[in-house]
Order: sequence, then structure tokens, then C-alpha cells
Amino acid sequence: MVSIFLSHSWKKFRRSVSFSRETATTIFLGLIAIMFSGYLLALGFILPKIITNGLNEPDIAAFVNRLFLYYLLFEFVLRYLLQNLPVLDAQPYLHLPVKRSTIVHYLLGRSVFSVMNIFVLLLFGPMSIIVIGQEHGALVGFSWIAGLWFLSLTVHFLVVLYKVKLDDTFIGILVVVGVFALFAAADYYNWFNLTTVSAYVFSGSTSGPLFLLATLAIAAVGYLANYRVFREGLYPEEIGPKDKSQFNAPELGFLRRLGLTGEWISVETRLILRNKRPRTMFFLSIVILLYGMIFYPNPTYKAEMPGFLIFVGTFITGVFMMNYGQFLFSWQASHFDFTLTRPVSLEQFVNSKYWLLAIVTLVFFVLSIPYVYFGWDILLMNFATLLFNLGVNVYVIMNLSMWSPKRIDLTKGGAFNVQGAGAAQWLMGLPVLIGPYVFYLPLALFGYHLAGIIAIGVVGLIGIICRPYLIALTAKRLQQNRHILAEGFRKDS
Amino acid sequence: MISIDSLKKSYKGVTVVDVPALAVSAGESVGVVGNNGAGKTTMFRMILDLVKPDTGKVEINGEKTQGTDAWKHFVGSFLDENFLIPYLTPDEYFKFVGKLHQWGEADLKVFYEKFADFFQGEILGGKKYIRDLSKGNLKKVGIAAAFIGNPQLIMLDEPFENLDPTSQIRLKTLLAREREERRLTYLISSHDLNHVTDICSRIIILEKGLVIRQIEGQDMLAELEAYFRA
Repeated sequence: MVSIFLSHSWKKFRRSVSFSRETATTIFLGLIAIMFSGYLLALGFILPKIITNGLNEPDIAAFVNRLFLYYLLFEFVLRYLLQNLPVLDAQPYLHLPVKRSTIVHYLLGRSVFSVMNIFVLLLFGPMSIIVIGQEHGALVGFSWIAGLWFLSLTVHFLVVLYKVKLDDTFIGILVVVGVFALFAAADYYNWFNLTTVSAYVFSGSTSGPLFLLATLAIAAVGYLANYRVFREGLYPEEIGPKDKSQFNAPELGFLRRLGLTGEWISVETRLILRNKRPRTMFFLSIVILLYGMIFYPNPTYKAEMPGFLIFVGTFITGVFMMNYGQFLFSWQASHFDFTLTRPVSLEQFVNSKYWLLAIVTLVFFVLSIPYVYFGWDILLMNFATLLFNLGVNVYVIMNLSMWSPKRIDLTKGGAFNVQGAGAAQWLMGLPVLIGPYVFYLPLALFGYHLAGIIAIGVVGLIGIICRPYLIALTAKRLQQNRHILAEGFRKDS
Repeated sequence: MISIDSLKKSYKGVTVVDVPALAVSAGESVGVVGNNGAGKTTMFRMILDLVKPDTGKVEINGEKTQGTDAWKHFVGSFLDENFLIPYLTPDEYFKFVGKLHQWGEADLKVFYEKFADFFQGEILGGKKYIRDLSKGNLKKVGIAAAFIGNPQLIMLDEPFENLDPTSQIRLKTLLAREREERRLTYLISSHDLNHVTDICSRIIILEKGLVIRQIEGQDMLAELEAYFRA
């Protein structure tokens, strides 16, 4: 039975309409995975050296033990962001004489075969041989790494469980916030320290088979919990894409003053709030606002390469514009025919897209104002890049997104979903991020840093003043491309 | 109302639609019948400027549809789910389409009353998004939305498909009543010979993109059955 399932999965992949179109994307992602695994393995080999020489920790095992809970926590977050739920379109099998347990075991078993699940082996595998194995013998080395792997698998099952049961629910958010608040509070009030807890929990990790058995038991419990949940939930209504969340978009009063443009914007805000993928994209963009915290507090950037911060500014204010805008017309692919047959001028339509992107970008700029704490020049830089985003980049994005866009199925989830991505979408970030430098560098190279920043802002301002003309131009291109777009959007990918 | 002039479309060397000339006059109700792959939907899409023809043009009320917007004010259409906005509730969708046609609350109210029977209390006031509706209810939403804006021409692709028997009958009554009241023009494709002969005064048979025959008069059903039996 398992072999039949495997062959069906393969056929589904091989025969999907988008196969040939998306092979390049798949190969690209595969290469990235291989490259990343290679880096991890290399890191695994030099990790013992880093710990002893770089961090002056003589007892490597003890050091890892102290931090391993952190690692698992990190893995949980990483898995949550990148990992998809195991799905086999189970529906066609449910009415056939196949045991439910077979289906569930297959689903769960296959989910173990994921790149994420070998991370821990790559990172700590070398250490288990060259350090633990050397000190405590091969058996202990083996059971140590196997034990860590089982714990990593437990995290895998926990993430699956979380995604099935709690994701996108109020309780789910509460749980995550609660856990992090607890750790932060514990650290702050000195209740307990996660490193000592971790050291205590893993103190027996070099005891050999006992550790192995204990972790195996934990992983088994995780598997069984998943098994039960999936078995109970093996109904067409519960598996598969579902998005029960009801988001009632507020009627925004000021949108009404924009007339039909405002109507389109409020339709699109509903699109963003009621569908998982754009919603995740939106919330992730808010998180990316914190990106500045990596660069702004560090004085070397400001002193030695102030130009680099332009990139940060463009990114912070424009991240939603870039992320959402790359699929600008694909989001509404499922009703593009509607847009074409109703009395809407495409100029109005394009105009609404402009305002949506512009309003969000403006809001993001306002949210980034607190960065003024790190200096007025940062505010100035972000303001210049804001103008540039509103005056230049928005048109670059709108026009590039017309370049052979693909249909997006809104019911499909967000993480690692590359549906709708073509060459244009991969390349779109480049001109947007490089653009400001075209105007900054000529001046900055002669030492006029400030003038360069102002130049960026002025160019943006010119773009903003030319808005009616640029919108008309964009609408004209959409008008010319409408048949090609409509045909592409009608095809399921 | 509609006039088609040497309209041609082919995909990869296969001719899908080849209509040298076809006219539908105002107030007429025309049915399009043909087996799968006859080119009905492609022809409809070309009339609505959704597919670019290789040659030829379509005029509605003497205006070319290709590349213009004015015709959209008096043409209502529903071909498939691409005409619906999946993440809105039916109420929101109707309201939005109404706004596009400058309809106020009062117009919508009249519209809801008119379609109350057809909706059987299942469409309006619910919290379900359009994407979660059953196929039959999707169809009802699409057909009803085609009537928003008091269009003069209505184009429907397979309107009876997926509807339950009661709804099919109610739809027929509704189409007849609307046509009588406002002298509407219909262009309707269907596989259901009974229904299509009931509501249409002329039937066009398409086959492999060509207009094979046009039938009018009393015994349309018998003629059609004879044609498809062969």
C-alpha cells in the first residue's frame, strides 16, 4: 500500500500542470537546500573548535547541554515558519477498502523525510564522533546523537500538532506569547535560567543507551499523539485546505471618499485578511520592521558605510510593497474575468492598487519612526526611501508584476508556497533595492553623503508628482496585456 | 444588439471558433447548443473581450467591444467562477457590483426582492464566503449578479447546470418575466435541450467552431433531438 501511495504522490508531482513551468523553481529550491545542508555540515565539523578555542569552553558536551533547549526552541520556530503540514490528498482513498491507520501512518511516516529533520544530524553528527565518541566511546556517541535526533523529531511532531490544532486560533497565539513571556520573565526575575534547566535535563545525555531509550519514548509519544489526532480528523471536511477564520474587514470611512477606487481597496483588504497566504505575508512584513534593530544600534554601519542603511530603509518601508506587489495581479487572478467584464476602467483598478500599496507603505514608515532614537539621519534616510518607494519603486513593481504572472489559488497556505512565482517574481527585488543607489552613489562617491540621500528623496518626489501620468501609463500596459493575463489566470497551476 | 463579423480563433493550428457573420437583434433570446469542445465558451469569451480573436470583431449596440469599456455598462454576464470574488460573502459581492453600476440601497432592495424566490433563502444574509458555497448556490450568485445594473444584454454559459429542479424552473420563469418587462436580449448556452428551447426563440448549433445550423419556430426541440441523434 505504501508503495502505491508513493507512486501516486510521484505521479501527482510529475503530472501536475505546473510541473514543467515550475521545474526551474523546484531545482532552485533543491540547490539551496543542498547548499544549506553543506554549510551546516561544515559548521558541524568546526563547531567543537569554535566552542573550545573561540568560546573557551573546555567541556564541549556540557556546553551543548546547556544550550540545547534553546536550540530546540529555535527549531520549533524555524519549523513553524518553513514546514508544511503532511498532506496526501486522502479523500480519494477514504471510500476504498484501505485502513485508516495505513493512511495516517503513511502521512506521518512520509513527513519524517524532510530536510529539516536532518539538520540536527548535520550540525551535531560530527561532534558526536570526534568529541563524544572519542571521550566516552562509540556507543555513547551514537546514543547521544540518536537521542538528539529523536528530540528534534519530537519538535517536528509538536509543530505538526500545533499547526493542526492551534494555528491561527486565539489560544494558539496565546500559547506562543505565553511561553516566550514566561522565559523572558524567568530570566528577568531570576526564577530560573533556561541554560541551567537545559543543563539539568541533558545531564544524563552522555550516559548512553538510557538517554537513547528516554528520548525514543518521548518521540514515540509525539508520534502517537499525532496519530490519534490525524486518525480522528481523517474526514474530508477536516483535512485539506481550510481557513475557517472570519475576518470582517472594517468599513474604512476614508476609503469611501475615494469612490470606486476606495471600493476596490476595501475588496482587496478583505482579500488580504481573509486568505491565509496574503495574511501571513502581511503579518510577516510587520515583523520585518524589526529588521532595523540588527543594523541601527551598531555604530560601525553608521560610521563606515552609511550608504548601506539606505538598503535597510528601502526594505523596511517597502517590504509589503515588494512581497505583496510581486503577485499584484495574481492575487485577483480568480476573478480577473470579472474585472474585465464589469464597468471598471483599468485605470481605476491600477489606481486602487497604487493606493493600497502606498497606504501600507506609509503606515510602515510611521511605524518605523521610533528608529529616530538611533539618530535623526536614520529618520531622514527612511523618509527619502519612503518617497522613492512611493514615487518610483511602486511603478517598477506594478509593471514587473504584469510580466507573465500566474494564477494563485488563495485557499492554499503560505509557508514555502511558491505558486505564482516565475522568473520575474524572483528578479523583482533587484531593481527595487538597487534603484536608490543609482541616484545616491554618484554623489556619495564624491563625499556628498547627505546630498545623495536628498537626491533619492527628490527623485521619489518627482515620481509622486508625475503620478497621474505614471498611473495612466501602467494602466495602458495592463490594457495591452489583458488577454495574455486573462488566459494565464484561467489555467490552474 | 450583437453583431459578429468574421470572428476566428485557433489554438495551436486547431480552429476553435470560425463565425463569418452572426447577428442577434435587440429583444431576441438566442440559445447556443453544441457538444463539448464546439467552441461555445470561447465564442462567449471573445464577445466579452476576454479572448483576443485572430481575426474579426464583435460589436454590441454598434460599438466594438474590443478594447473599449462602454459596453460593460449594459452587458451582464456569467460564464464561470472566474466571474465571482471568492473571498467575499454574496451580500458584499452584490453590493460591490452594485456600486460599480452606481446602484444605491433602494436599487439593491428591489433586486433582492426580485431574486428572493430564486435564492430560496440560502444566499442572502449568510456568513459564508462565496468560495464555500455549493456549486448550485455559486451559480445562483453569478446569474443574479449578471442582472445587476439593469443590463440590456445578458450572456449566460450553462445556467441550468448544477441547479436543483425547483431552481431550474424558477430560473426559467425569472428569465421570461425579466425579458417581458424590460425587453432584454439573451445569449444562453446550454446542454439541456428542453430548457433552452423553452426560453429561446432561436437556437444556434455550433460544431467544431462552425455555425452548423440555426433553428427557429415551433418544433425546435424535435429538430434539435433529430440533429443530435444522428
